[in-house]
Amino acid sequence: MTIKSIHGCIGCEECVKSCPCDVIRMENGKAKITYPADCQICHLCRMYCPVDAIEMSPEKSIPVIVSWG
Amino acid sequence: MTGPMTNPITGKTTNPLTSPTRRSFMAMGGAVAGLSSMGLAGWAQNDVEIDVTTLTNTTYQTDVLVIGGGMAGLFAAVKAHDAGAKVMIASKGRVGSSGLTPFAKGYFAYDPDKETVSIDEFVETVSRSAYRTNNPVYTRQLAENSLARAKELQDWGFFDTTLAHRPFMVPLEARDIPIVERLMITRLIKEDGRIAGAAGFLLDAEKTVTIAAKSIVLCTGAGGFKPSGFPVCDLTHDGSIMAYEIGAKITGKEWNDGHTGRSVNPAACYDGWGDMFELTPSMNSVEVHHDLGVDVNYQAYMQGNPINMGPGTPPDAEQTMVEGGPVTPSEFQRSGPPAGGEDGSAGSPAGGPPPGGPGGGPEGGPEGGPLGGGTQRGFAMGGASAGMAIHKSEGLVPVDDRCASNVAGLYAAGDALGSHMSGGIYTQIGSSLAGSAVQGAIAGEAAAEFAAAHPLMEIPAETLTTITDEILAPLKREAGYGPAWVTQTLQGVMIPNFVLYVKKQTMMQAALAYIEELRDHHAPMLRAANMHELRLAHETRNMILSAEMKLRASLMRTESRCSHYRLDYTEIDTENWEAWINISKAENGTMQLEKQPFSAWPEQA
Repeated sequence: MTIKSIHGCIGCEECVKSCPCDVIRMENGKAKITYPADCQICHLCRMYCPVDAIEMSPEKSIPVIVSWG
Repeated sequence: MTGPMTNPITGKTTNPLTSPTRRSFMAMGGAVAGLSSMGLAGWAQNDVEIDVTTLTNTTYQTDVLVIGGGMAGLFAAVKAHDAGAKVMIASKGRVGSSGLTPFAKGYFAYDPDKETVSIDEFVETVSRSAYRTNNPVYTRQLAENSLARAKELQDWGFFDTTLAHRPFMVPLEARDIPIVERLMITRLIKEDGRIAGAAGFLLDAEKTVTIAAKSIVLCTGAGGFKPSGFPVCDLTHDGSIMAYEIGAKITGKEWNDGHTGRSVNPAACYDGWGDMFELTPSMNSVEVHHDLGVDVNYQAYMQGNPINMGPGTPPDAEQTMVEGGPVTPSEFQRSGPPAGGEDGSAGSPAGGPPPGGPGGGPEGGPEGGPLGGGTQRGFAMGGASAGMAIHKSEGLVPVDDRCASNVAGLYAAGDALGSHMSGGIYTQIGSSLAGSAVQGAIAGEAAAEFAAAHPLMEIPAETLTTITDEILAPLKREAGYGPAWVTQTLQGVMIPNFVLYVKKQTMMQAALAYIEELRDHHAPMLRAANMHELRLAHETRNMILSAEMKLRASLMRTESRCSHYRLDYTEIDTENWEAWINISKAENGTMQLEKQPFSAWPEQA
């Protein structure tokens, strides 16, 4: 399911700011996967996270429409 | 509102005990597929999380407003500042980490000391590859300015790191240029025929924003239909649509970007491109191709989707190719080993363009080419960037060589400008990133000049009230269509191979009827419960209008050329179609299309 989990968040908000699709929001000082359906699985959040707290999955959380299906 | 009226895709659930939560719906996701299952999620009550009556407005005032924080926006802001203007940047995401800029790793720098071809020869080669669909003025400008911009980027550390945010901040902080991030601009404001400002809303605060500006540079990128497998889901042609609404001309919509995706986990952009997103950017020299990608779609269409490449295909499966389809000039046909060979980019049609990936990255791309991934990532499939045309070829029509639009004070650069720098096909590797840098700088300087010569226009209070009401309308609806559902409906209509890539009149007319329905009966009834969904609502509306533009332009262009392929007009028509198509909003509100000869500029503002 796209961005899969956040463990060990230090609350720096880098992932919130670096996500192009506004998937992650802050809640009680920690990053929270808030809108996973909009994740484009680009890994920017993971790459910007300074403490490697983010784990990704290649699977989209909603049905995918492709041109060739 | 509880239970059956909850929108499981976009909306929150007010009673988690009795209705499916977002997570439980996702668990069901694998079991449901197709549009019909999405029906329940379409219309619902709006469980609005915000008290719309308490929303406040923040105002700014500047000389030049740059909208967008990618490569074009960076240079537009820097050069407008250096030309003496007061500048501010408004970005839907964050500078250097949204749009396509973060994923483009190749930068074309024409170095006269190293190149073996002259700029004249380079421009002519691009024109031959592009079947003359390129605007040679912009192609030349790219080559002439690319190295100077590269040196500036080098100074800021751009080529030393994977992630562009910090290097981008170096020149912006040095100049103290104000930036408002996570601000979606949805409206441009025109008074007495020229630019007066822009308006939008913040994602993180319950606030609308209005910015009075003497001139505006749109660096908003292009966009797609939030497709699977290409990192363009935050770009929805916002700039083009805003500009169209105030009278700007839009071009290039019939072209199709040809990036391929993967058959396994097709939405996983990162995985599909291997480790490319983690590379540091690098420079490359003249290398002109005719990278279609749409030829892959043609093969799939003719042989049955997805020919020999779908899920479950053995890695050693033999590929068969049928004759016909999109044409590559013989000079630019690739030779060498079959698809999947050493350099992976050979053996078209299976090798998708450009070999380096988004924006033109290093030769070969992930694992040595689009087919290199084997079964682990699945085979390369056409259509990953559905809804996007060719870099630099769709967007606002330039009326001169300085990125000006036909609206006074409105400029665009990069993928927001329909400069046709590359043409209706991706030609020079690495030109996407370089073209954004070059055009951003030129547009920034031009916008600063305009601002120096014109006073701020006054925006009447009632205009601002009306605009704010329109921006917030989805939040105020008691019930409406979920933007994600409307988007998925649009994707189901537009993205299939037989609509978007292998075109024919009857199918496009059918799709157009569907899109008109979304335009007239769904866009006006989109709902949003919070600022995130408000963004989705505006993005959805922009995609609907972009889909209409793509269909109308594709219907009008009764030939096949470059990345535009029609099954019912398979040949190039040089007698009738040495022309681009410009789209504008007629006085009665309908979309009007006109031809503009390849060699001509439209009327100046």
